[in-house]
Amino acid sequence: MRRIWGILLALLMGVGLGLVYAWMISPLRVVDSEPSLLRADFKEQYRSAIAAAYAANGNLPRAKARLALLGDPDPVAALNAQAQQMLASGDTFHQADQVVALALALGENGVAASTSTIVVESNTRVATDASGKATETLPPPPPDVPIVLTETPEIIEMEPTQPVVVAESTPRPTRTPIPTFGAPFKLTGQETVCDPNLPDGLLQVIVYNTNRRQLAGIEIVVTWDGGEEQFFTGFKPELGNGYADFIMSPNVTYILQLARGSDVATGLITPTCQGTNGEPYIGGIKLTFQQP
Amino acid sequence: MGLAYGWYIDPVDYFDLTPDTLRADYKTDYVLMIAEAYRVEQDPGLAARRLAVFGTRSPSSIASEGLAYARANGFAESDIVLIQELVTALQAWSGIP
Repeated sequence: MRRIWGILLALLMGVGLGLVYAWMISPLRVVDSEPSLLRADFKEQYRSAIAAAYAANGNLPRAKARLALLGDPDPVAALNAQAQQMLASGDTFHQADQVVALALALGENGVAASTSTIVVESNTRVATDASGKATETLPPPPPDVPIVLTETPEIIEMEPTQPVVVAESTPRPTRTPIPTFGAPFKLTGQETVCDPNLPDGLLQVIVYNTNRRQLAGIEIVVTWDGGEEQFFTGFKPELGNGYADFIMSPNVTYILQLARGSDVATGLITPTCQGTNGEPYIGGIKLTFQQP
Repeated sequence: MGLAYGWYIDPVDYFDLTPDTLRADYKTDYVLMIAEAYRVEQDPGLAARRLAVFGTRSPSSIASEGLAYARANGFAESDIVLIQELVTALQAWSGIP
């Protein structure tokens, strides 16, 4: 009996030590992984590359297929958030603009909140251990492993699409013209804001796409007699991705439009509001732009 | 038994991986993206910076590897031409602005 316990104990210790070695000391090194497993900053670079390629070839289906590989639950939101981050961190406007342009194009195509599930037949494989020494390897992946992209049923804002899209791992391009930025934005709202809690002369701008989704990284140009300033949506994400603001000086008339093309809001001047005690104070203006 | 379980049955789950772990076809598609952008931007420095995600290897060798994979795996001729252009540009690019 004692001997059996001894054997069992030795066996358990052996298994335990084996697991410690296999999981902690020398875990198998990953090769042949997929983009959805990349670290967040590398995913951002991947998205930037997708946007740059899209800006070059205008091939939206190919860009969609590539974005799906990243497994973002909402690719448009991910692109918008990245554009904000790029602008805030001082990346070139050109690169941020490419990301915004792709988000716009996807938004216009109703891909906004789609959830893509990627089923890759050949998953992560192992080839060498942590020390780089060759170990038993699984067979290499077939040269052209098909990727099955399936759209989940929770899709909203979607054009009717096929429930299952089977794409080659390297989608073939069809040359299409360089993308345009869509129709000019319409000024859909202009209202006086009388709120004593807000800064005096606050000019608020909110920009939406066709699907009423707020757009980050949109350049706004405001001009007045003897001056001009540019600012961007998305720097205050707590107020909305498509939000931007500017402080107007009293008695100055401003003109505002979106750099990408929009209706022009003219004659913008700080309004005078009445407080609850009858005291006048300087109010603000709220402008809303939307793509038709 | 512990080794077999830990390496094959239930290996460590990986996430937050680096691009050099990507499967060859994904790497090649990334190179293709950079090549597509390069065709319009004509900026080898920018293309090199974008390829730097793959680590310390030279951008031209990364692109060349992508080209070899694309040729061996039946990529569209137009894609191969794009990658070839990128390889040529990176080989000629000195890295000095």
